[in-house]
Amino acid sequence: MRWWRLKKRDADLERELRSDLELEEEEQRENGLSPEEARYAARRAFGNATLIKEQTHEAWGWGRFERLLQDFRYALRQLARSPGFAAAAILTLALGIGASTSIFSVADAVLLRPLPYPNPGQLVRVWEQMPNGHRPNVAESNFEDFLTQNNTFASLAAYDYGLASISGGSEPARVNISAVSRGFFQTLGVQPLRGRLFAGDEQRPHGTPAIVVSYGYWQRYLGGTTDLSKFHLDLEGGSYPVVGVMPPGFDFPSGMAAWIPRELDPPGPSRTGHNWQVVGRVRDGITVAQARANLSAIARRIRREHGTEVDLSDAAVVPLAEAIVGDVRTALLTLLGAVGLLLLVACANVAGLLLARTAARRKELAIRAALGAGRGRLIRQFLAESFVFSLVAGILGVLMAAGGIRLLPVILPADLPRQESIAINPVVLLFGLAVTVMVAAALGFFAAWRAGGGDLQDALNAGSRSHAGSSASQRLRSLLVVGEIAITLVILVGAGLFGRSFLRLISTSPGFRQENLITIEFSPPIPQGQEGMDQSAIARQVNLFDSIVARLRAIPGTESLGLAGAVPVAAGDNLPDGDFLTLNGHTPPANFDEFGRMAQNHSQTGHALYAVAGEGYFKTLGIPLIRGRIFKDQDTLNSPNVALISQALARRRWPDQDPIGQTIEFGNMDGNLKPLTIIGIVGDVRARGLDAPPDSVIYVDYRQRGMNLNSTPTILLRTTALEGAIISPARDIFHELAPEAPVKFSTFTEQMGNWLASRRFLLLLVGLFATAALVLAAVGLYGVVAFFVTRRTQEIGIRVAIGAQRSDVLRLVLGEGARMAGLGIVIGIVASLAITRLVSSLLFGISATDPLTFSGVAVLLSLVALAATYIPARRAMRINPVTALRYE
Amino acid sequence: MSSMDKQTRQRPGLLQGTLDMLILRTLIYGPAHGHQIGKNIQRTTNDFLQMQHGSLYPALHRLEKRGWVSAKWETAPDRNRDFKYYRLTDKGKKQLVVEESQWKQMAEAVARVMWPATEES
Repeated sequence: MRWWRLKKRDADLERELRSDLELEEEEQRENGLSPEEARYAARRAFGNATLIKEQTHEAWGWGRFERLLQDFRYALRQLARSPGFAAAAILTLALGIGASTSIFSVADAVLLRPLPYPNPGQLVRVWEQMPNGHRPNVAESNFEDFLTQNNTFASLAAYDYGLASISGGSEPARVNISAVSRGFFQTLGVQPLRGRLFAGDEQRPHGTPAIVVSYGYWQRYLGGTTDLSKFHLDLEGGSYPVVGVMPPGFDFPSGMAAWIPRELDPPGPSRTGHNWQVVGRVRDGITVAQARANLSAIARRIRREHGTEVDLSDAAVVPLAEAIVGDVRTALLTLLGAVGLLLLVACANVAGLLLARTAARRKELAIRAALGAGRGRLIRQFLAESFVFSLVAGILGVLMAAGGIRLLPVILPADLPRQESIAINPVVLLFGLAVTVMVAAALGFFAAWRAGGGDLQDALNAGSRSHAGSSASQRLRSLLVVGEIAITLVILVGAGLFGRSFLRLISTSPGFRQENLITIEFSPPIPQGQEGMDQSAIARQVNLFDSIVARLRAIPGTESLGLAGAVPVAAGDNLPDGDFLTLNGHTPPANFDEFGRMAQNHSQTGHALYAVAGEGYFKTLGIPLIRGRIFKDQDTLNSPNVALISQALARRRWPDQDPIGQTIEFGNMDGNLKPLTIIGIVGDVRARGLDAPPDSVIYVDYRQRGMNLNSTPTILLRTTALEGAIISPARDIFHELAPEAPVKFSTFTEQMGNWLASRRFLLLLVGLFATAALVLAAVGLYGVVAFFVTRRTQEIGIRVAIGAQRSDVLRLVLGEGARMAGLGIVIGIVASLAITRLVSSLLFGISATDPLTFSGVAVLLSLVALAATYIPARRAMRINPVTALRYE
Repeated sequence: MSSMDKQTRQRPGLLQGTLDMLILRTLIYGPAHGHQIGKNIQRTTNDFLQMQHGSLYPALHRLEKRGWVSAKWETAPDRNRDFKYYRLTDKGKKQLVVEESQWKQMAEAVARVMWPATEES
């Protein structure tokens, strides 16, 4: 039966029933009944005409669908009739669904989606593994063994990357460049967008240089030009023709602007220089475990053959996707957990609203039941209603999420891997839909379950007053609020812990004065061979730096300035670290083979960060000299090389000796084997970040060692003037003296801001969710207490009439709120104690059960609960007994 | 009201599908409208089967949808008013034969279980 012909059918049926009914009536009359009696008799004989009509109608099919439509139409009407309820429910759920969908979109992009390479499950990262469990990068000779002796990998490639200055495009730039071994692109299974990858002579020592650039670099610096042949990029003194451009989505290692063949540099055989990151693709049908067993066997063979000359004892093989995500996983799972809890609070809130509404609708429901609506039909009705408002909320929520992920880049740390692929895609939409349907079904069944209880007759007979809410449903509402408060407390504790960690972090002193500090990172080309910088290169560099420094010093407002190889703390990850030798009167090693042999004797080595600095660095930052002296003008290229060490290193390496006067060998960091004499001890700096303990640092003088490729020459300038007053004349100076060098002006505060941003996003997001949950819980509590007051208006009136004081009334109402809040807080604290343990790795300086946080949060929640309860309590106090007793 | 309730509840319920057969059988005598069909079944069974309108009309429309009966508005000869008259179609006649034989088999089977003695003869 066609859907549009049903209307005609209905009219027909109506007519049929009417004619038959009239006939019945006539016959009854003919049997001698009075007209009125006849009509009643006929009606009785026919029974429920509406029901007959409905049932007959269904004989024609479409019934199910029609009923559904009917239910939805009815649901829409019901919601339109109570716009307040509809708006509250929709907004609350939209908040929960929107927040969880946007966080899910992040988790989807970062954790769930497969890597954008063919057969991504075959890709792995490889490390050496030391006996102590530490996993360093792979040494060159060990990599060669892994490469040639394995039988489980389709390909295996080594790569390394670092900052470098490139010019030759539209403007010079300081960017990340990766040196990659043969088979790197083939391992990942990627093809260039334009041009070609490296080939032939380009992958031989001293062969033809070549460079492949990223899509972003090509667009920005090469103007997206199709003809690549005219571009030769200058990279740290060498000229590289551009041979290819990678496609836009290719981002491995993350953030690279270009790739060069690593084979251009002659091999540096070493089994302890952990310089190479390794990525591999296992063969078809080989598991990660098999590949690992294979490399383990090779690693053990290396260990057997070379004994203590090597420090690896095993190999580690981890799926690439897992390796890329790394420790972000915990943070993202925490966010998902927090947002899930927020969604629960939102649902509980709406469930509370539904309960109040169901109570108010008992009479309507009873009438529908009396008219023949079956239990199933009523349940369907509730489902239809909850689906209507949940779907609207879902759509709104997904729209909110779509807006939210535009804001995410502001909040998310810049180093979060794979965040460029965060988007509302089908998977995310499906998630939003699934959440919406689950919420709708849960709320619908909940409402139906609540409405189903109770006697029909009772509900019909009862006046509106006594059934404004049965005590059972009031109890249930209170329980919901208790649950909401408990969950809110858990989120609040999380936010509190992250907040306290963050406060700890920013109140941690880096070891120097951070205010009024301008940072100027500039990168003149650094010519460097295998043996480090030669003397003349260093001399030229020093000349350039000296003239720049002299001109900068003359800018009015400059208090002091100093040179360094990296901005400490904020860019502290760029500081290289390594093992040094303590010479103790021994002759310094003549070459690196000898260095390697001497380093086997662990009583003669130490570990430290390698920092290049000028004499003005310590004064400018305010790093105190503890003992000895700072670098001075007499320390030149030809005088004995000197070094300063941090207090931490003095304490760790020379606990009962005077380090001043000791000679050390740290040439492995800059290729210069001249020994260093320690001339002084300076104060500790948290060079690698505020969340790490003060580091062991060895400072060398840039006048003696030069700024090599491991450094980003940085001028730190202390000023009382506005930064603009310094930066614009400074820019002119650089333009004049070093036009080819990329220059980046910033302030230390700004750089710290970026550094802190990656530690702040968790606090920000969890804090946001906690605030939302707090508001929802407060509204929920307010609703229940307000309802309590309404329901007891008469009782309170009577109490006041027989002499209860206002304070008694206040106590009655506040007590009601306090009971719920107290119970919720206790449950929440117990739950938090169990849950916060999971995030302890994300905390800094406090324990996961920090009593101050717990008590602070409990107090905050109590105050909010008090405020939410006080509003209805005030109304209760003002109840006039006369009106109250008339209250219906 | 309650005593009446109990009475009707004690009446035998029609077996599922039996009503269709009874309606088809009634229409063998010629076209009839809903009221007549109901009354007829009630009268023929000496009021043993009270016709419930709640099942009669859905059944009639179900039969019409299946094409076993056809319906047409016609003037009743005695009342000078239009009623919806149902007629047995050829398909309906065949269906009646099928249902009848099924019912017979069913009744015999039930009888053999209930009164095994009569089987001996």
